[in-house]
Amino acid sequence: MDQTPRTGGATTPPPLGEHLRSPQLRAAMLVQQEALHAARDYLRGEGFVELLPPLVGPVTDPGGRGAKALDVDYYGHSYKLMTSAILYKQASLRGFPRLFYIAPNVRVEPEETATTGRHLVEFHQIDVEIAEASREEAQEIAAGLLTHVTEQVFTAIPGVLAELGRDEAGFADVRSGKYDVCTHHEAVTRLLASGHPQNPDGEIDWAGERLLSLESDRPFFINDYPKGSRGFYDREDPENPGVLRNFDLIAPHGYGEIVSGSERESDYATIVTRMRESGENPAKYAWYLKEAREGIPASAGFGMGLQRLVRFLTGLDAVWQVSAYPKLPGVMAP
Amino acid sequence: MSALAAPGFPEALIRARARNGTAEVFPAPDAYGRELFGPEAYGTGSGSEHAPGTGPHSLGSGPGDSLDRARIVPPVFTPERLEKLIDLAREPEFTDVDLTTRIGGFASRLPLYLSAFGSTRAGSGDLALHATRQAARLGIPMVIGENMIPVHGYRRAGDAGRSALLGRIGAYLDAVPDGVGGIVVQQSTEDADSEVWNLLYSDPALRPLLETGRLAFELKTGQGAKPGLGGMTVVGGAEAEQLARRFTVRKVFDEPGERQLRCATPGTFTDEILRQQLRFMRNNFPRAGTWVKFHPGRDIADAARTAWAAGAEAVTVDGAEGGTGYAPRVFLGQVGLPLAECLRRIGRPDGCLLASGGMWEGGRALRALALGAGAVGLGRAALIAVDEDPEHGLERLVDALALELRLLISALGKYGVTAVGPEDLWWPDAPEHRSVPDPLGAVR
Repeated sequence: MDQTPRTGGATTPPPLGEHLRSPQLRAAMLVQQEALHAARDYLRGEGFVELLPPLVGPVTDPGGRGAKALDVDYYGHSYKLMTSAILYKQASLRGFPRLFYIAPNVRVEPEETATTGRHLVEFHQIDVEIAEASREEAQEIAAGLLTHVTEQVFTAIPGVLAELGRDEAGFADVRSGKYDVCTHHEAVTRLLASGHPQNPDGEIDWAGERLLSLESDRPFFINDYPKGSRGFYDREDPENPGVLRNFDLIAPHGYGEIVSGSERESDYATIVTRMRESGENPAKYAWYLKEAREGIPASAGFGMGLQRLVRFLTGLDAVWQVSAYPKLPGVMAP
Repeated sequence: MSALAAPGFPEALIRARARNGTAEVFPAPDAYGRELFGPEAYGTGSGSEHAPGTGPHSLGSGPGDSLDRARIVPPVFTPERLEKLIDLAREPEFTDVDLTTRIGGFASRLPLYLSAFGSTRAGSGDLALHATRQAARLGIPMVIGENMIPVHGYRRAGDAGRSALLGRIGAYLDAVPDGVGGIVVQQSTEDADSEVWNLLYSDPALRPLLETGRLAFELKTGQGAKPGLGGMTVVGGAEAEQLARRFTVRKVFDEPGERQLRCATPGTFTDEILRQQLRFMRNNFPRAGTWVKFHPGRDIADAARTAWAAGAEAVTVDGAEGGTGYAPRVFLGQVGLPLAECLRRIGRPDGCLLASGGMWEGGRALRALALGAGAVGLGRAALIAVDEDPEHGLERLVDALALELRLLISALGKYGVTAVGPEDLWWPDAPEHRSVPDPLGAVR
């Protein structure tokens, strides 16, 4: 059967009350509940400790692709709502060498992302960080997490998935953990060869990511994004300057990226320099740089988009359909 | 005062320093908000003398300026006029010169743009708004300066009013003809703290610009009037306290509790930092153009090449003659390369090169175009023009400049902005800079 999401077919959410009463949302929430249970189960089994993330701070992940943070007045100071608690996650390694959050995030995404089917202003991610780990170890946990969650959801609530029209056979590769790997350079080459105008220095754009995802029947990692396309905390490959020791995990059948991760930069002077390279004023990050100067452990980690994961499992068109209180970029909603 | 004299020495300036200390390092704070500061501002304080080497003709746009010393030299034989004659089937006239051009990805009716004025009082009040409306009607791009949001704020949820920055954008959009012009918004270090580009990129008020490809962001690394320093303004006591969290505020005027100097930082750049910041801009704001502005540093050629290689759609060089903002006197006459030397060092540009610094009439603009600039920026001249006539002053100034450009370009036997080159100039006092068959290559 066709596993392809009908991106663009879904429009905007109905009024909130109607949305909350829909059988489709109820099914999605059952899948989400099961997925969260499975994720916690898996990560605890791998020795991770769950912490609850901060909601506001003097700085947050500077983000990318035009997404911005919301400011809040914090006793007369300008604080940010977390776009991602990555910096806190890294600092926490000092006491918790294997940790995870189920983290709420707020990103004011550019309006053009309202129709990707993959962007919400409010969303959650399963945020994982592992002290002294390599990219490959982080990828192993990410793949294990996706495999375990998929397996458990299909085992626990097969009827819900069947009602949503999800075919177990389509998830055989996901459940067996057979994932492919390619580099950013290879991905760009494939896109250019297929006539898609992908910027070789940048993130894979939304349309390009969907094209790559549609071409594949199994999840795959894209490694080695170019410097300048990601945050200052992604570690540059010492063997390969200009290339980052990072990755995305792309779901098959057009669902696109569901995980972003990397080895983290832990050298203080390099972090400050990288902040400048991304146009940041290091003074904003005083607390984080103090921790880094004292020694944040080297690490690798990732964030898995919860709504993207649930959308992939349910096969629904857009992430707003798997969010109880959806806020699409540029669309005013309760 | 004693009877001691020191002929040939800037005695009055020394005496003023002896009386007033650090306040004499800067133009009088009373002048802030009323005067525009360029190289010739030296001596506008208590003394009228000029320090050695900083006289009005050493660098400013007066007759002794290094760019203005070049003569514009029409040829006898004019093969390009023949091409035009064939095309028109009549003798070409100066009115046949086409001044329309592309500036950093924008279509422009003239090889001109309105330069950034920064956050100074002179540059962000009514004058800037008048200049904005007229630039829009002229169909030329406009650059909006750094530090507007950290200093003047931005619209916040529930605010009825618009900030100075949004006010200018709105005024421009109301008056600009379809298909031409564009708005470029600078960001410097302190702006990055306020996430200026992020705020604008997702603001529905800017949608018309994004949808017509008429928005660009400019990474500002410095300014002509004070190379190596960040922006400086004079602020009152209450404002100083409010700004002290985001800027350095210093008491240099010896007025306890009163006016103080607000300083931004210049930002730290290496070639890799520049390259990566430009990449970051392109990656983060794919629908906006990417510009970069440099101060007249000695490595300007290297910087410009790095920027173009990293994908900058326009590189602006602000010669030491440039500037509207407040600056230490020692910088106004003595620091930074003159515009002509910047252009010579850059040589044949790898991309769109824009030049500013003392631009106000056609001859100087033509010299900059001949040395490789694709367009020139009007800063101080624009503010003075709208101060003279808020409704049409800039339009009249530009009309005169455009007429001069048409006359000059046609005299050179050419009919387009990009046709002029260094062969059209003659330098009386620098043999190595005289025109040669392939000057852009040869003068490097």
